[in-house]
Amino acid sequence: MRQRTSGPSDRPPPTRHRPRAAALAARVLWVLVAGATAGCASLASPTAEVGADRMTDPRPARDGGTLTIALKSDPDKLDPTLASTAVGRTVFTAMCEKLYDVDAANRIVPQLAAAPPTTSDGGRTVTVKLRRGVRFADGTRMDAEAVKTSLDRHRTLTGSVRASELKPLTSVQAVGDDTVRLRLAKPYVPLLALLADRAGMVMSPTALKRYGKGFASHPTCVGPFRYAERVVGDRIVLDKDPNYYDADAVHLRRVIYRTITDGNVRLANLQSGDIQVGDQMDPVQVGRALTEPGLQLFHSSSLGYYGLTLNIGNTKGAGAPPGRIDTPIARDVRVREAFDLSLDRDLINTIVFQGRYRPTCGPLPVGTPYATGSRCPARDLAKAKRLLRAAKVTTPVRVRLQISTTPEDNRLGQVIQAMAKEAGFAVSLAPTEFATGLEHSRAGDFQAATTNWSGRLDPAGNIDVFAGTGGAQNYGGLSDPAIDRLIAEGGTTAAKPARKKIYARLVERVRAAHTVLYLIQPTNYVFVTKKVAGLKVFGDGLIRVKDAGYVRGGS
Amino acid sequence: MSYPIRRLGESLITLFLVSVVVFAGVRALPGDTATALAGEEPTPEAIAQIRESYGLDDNIVVQYVRYVRHAATGDLGVSSRTGLPVLDSVMEALPVTLELSALALLLAVVVGVGAGVVAAVRRGRPEEWLVNAVALLGLSVPAFWLGIVLVLAFAIAVPVFAASGFVPFGVDPMENLRHMVLPVIVLGSGLAAVVMRQTRAAMLGSLSADYVRTARAKGLSRRQVIMGHALRNSLVTVVTVLGLQLGHLISGAVVTEQIFVLPGFGKLTIDAVFSRDYAMVQGVVLFTSTAYIVVNLLVDLAYSVIDPRIRLGGAQ
Repeated sequence: MRQRTSGPSDRPPPTRHRPRAAALAARVLWVLVAGATAGCASLASPTAEVGADRMTDPRPARDGGTLTIALKSDPDKLDPTLASTAVGRTVFTAMCEKLYDVDAANRIVPQLAAAPPTTSDGGRTVTVKLRRGVRFADGTRMDAEAVKTSLDRHRTLTGSVRASELKPLTSVQAVGDDTVRLRLAKPYVPLLALLADRAGMVMSPTALKRYGKGFASHPTCVGPFRYAERVVGDRIVLDKDPNYYDADAVHLRRVIYRTITDGNVRLANLQSGDIQVGDQMDPVQVGRALTEPGLQLFHSSSLGYYGLTLNIGNTKGAGAPPGRIDTPIARDVRVREAFDLSLDRDLINTIVFQGRYRPTCGPLPVGTPYATGSRCPARDLAKAKRLLRAAKVTTPVRVRLQISTTPEDNRLGQVIQAMAKEAGFAVSLAPTEFATGLEHSRAGDFQAATTNWSGRLDPAGNIDVFAGTGGAQNYGGLSDPAIDRLIAEGGTTAAKPARKKIYARLVERVRAAHTVLYLIQPTNYVFVTKKVAGLKVFGDGLIRVKDAGYVRGGS
Repeated sequence: MSYPIRRLGESLITLFLVSVVVFAGVRALPGDTATALAGEEPTPEAIAQIRESYGLDDNIVVQYVRYVRHAATGDLGVSSRTGLPVLDSVMEALPVTLELSALALLLAVVVGVGAGVVAAVRRGRPEEWLVNAVALLGLSVPAFWLGIVLVLAFAIAVPVFAASGFVPFGVDPMENLRHMVLPVIVLGSGLAAVVMRQTRAAMLGSLSADYVRTARAKGLSRRQVIMGHALRNSLVTVVTVLGLQLGHLISGAVVTEQIFVLPGFGKLTIDAVFSRDYAMVQGVVLFTSTAYIVVNLLVDLAYSVIDPRIRLGGAQ
């Protein structure tokens, strides 16, 4: 049923000013002049520092009100089994809880589970105790059978994006009302992190039966908010769920997610009061928004990275056995190392990202338990030139770099082009629209391509599929038995100190291949009006609205 | 063959050709749907399953026949991106674009005709220079720039109107107005400038025509001469121009909907193209084409009722 989405009663009134006519006219005139020069904003230097991570605002919130959140892109299917976009995870956070969740310190904590899982049978059996007295948004009970139904659907439904994630899972058994037993083909340590993501979301079996393939139109899970309406490309509306087990702690009456792809438009809407939360703000907008007195900034170090993938063997498509590519950069690791040494990560961060991200040279993000913390090698043009001479290649070495059509990728491409030129590379840029670029990368139809990965909590999620032979996202065609061995060890070693050592060696090995050049660890920037408190933005970049609300005494 | 049946047959052939062109055209786009749909985690298994699930593995002719069979029953399929029925999305977007276009047209007519009349009547005076300058500005300024400036001025500096979004008129008329004013100005300003220039030119011709001189000689008031005689005759040209500009209005709506994040046809189409959402692109284009063909058919049939020469053939 269609529901009213907004109106005077549920929209917090925008800040109204009542200046005099002359002042108004002057203000409008100033804005018109400013508007004419708006294009220069991207070159502005940062006006303020953001400081250490800030993930929430502890001020007490009152009950009621509607929170409108602007997302960077439109989520895909609102079905945990079929969903594949990062932005969709943000919406799920409010309406589909998981067996486990992530906390502010990037630790995995129980959510619909009652406690951390126990393992037996050498890690092949995982037992999950469930929280009791939990009901889905449709009022039916969330129990072990519901978890089994959901996990089986994730594993077997045609088109399931979760199926490959849960490949090691061979069977699910409901043991009584509140215990689920998972059997694995082999020990699989990353499973817990997967159960803290969409694979761990539990759907109402009643709704699954009722809506079948149309579940995405009626997503029914356990969460502080329940699905009310979706207008494609515009908004997703969620209402407070009275059936939620912790409903008393939920302040907001309604949450609206709106899709506003342009960062400047997101910022303009924040300034005008039409939205209260702007997700995934770019560094350029961060600089501008920091000077806005009505806005506050939440930020946390991301789990992902920006990088470059060099194609050294992807001739038949990612996942297929690698072949031979006869270009200097694919043939000789010294040429790739020279390319890597020509790049100044600090300068890239300053020029492309306004100095608001963090230079990196590995896939494991700072702030996670497995971060290696090694320092990046400094730019070394002399060594780069020596390596090229040793490789006996004709300079300039021609490299075609595929970039996406975003302004950020354009800047990144141009900076790389300029830096690599000094070492003896002639980089030509190939701006390619997203879907086409993805297809080129998968098919191996590229020499070098920019990479932007949103990141996963478990180190396996940031390495295995990118570096393992036949990995689904191993677009560069890297194939190294030592890397494959370390990946297998990392997946089955549960003890954290031992696993950390494995991943440290793995990262060194992957870096030495110079197939993926890690450049930048981004920061999750979320701007929120100061009238809102309790919002949480953790390392996974998802906005958590369960505890959010308008501050007491505010409008 | 009778005229209505012949016209109906022609319309069906046109519709068939449109469906073929759209179907083939969307598939000719570079970039693979299944890869795009697999999102951040495009595993080969997921891609293969998506292909199978949406019938993308089938021969293109089989896909086309299946599509037409469903479309004939009003089933435009399910969006491969959102999993929602295409027809629902189309019906949600339609009122937004219709309202935006209608209001922009109204603005263009009211402002353009009014300014054109003033410019003609006050020829050689400051008013004419001012109207000409504003019209030139309206024609020259790109829609996206004007949109940003208007948002900065009237949604942020002086928060009178909304910066983006849409509230249906039936839900809250005042909120609807608050959201539509700026997009309507952006979309309507260019058209208003064209209308103004055409009105001015036509009015200048009319004001120097014999029938206007005669009207003045008969002692009619200045207002009666301008509004009742000169403007009335000039409107024929203006209406013709408006007809020719309708296409620009629709294409302009695409840009305007992007700037103001209006959930109309333009935004729906662009989002669908970028995500290779075949079903949605086909649905939107097929729906628009069908509406266009049906309206033309009805107009032609109406003509034939009004003027028997049309249905009987020009020679008779």
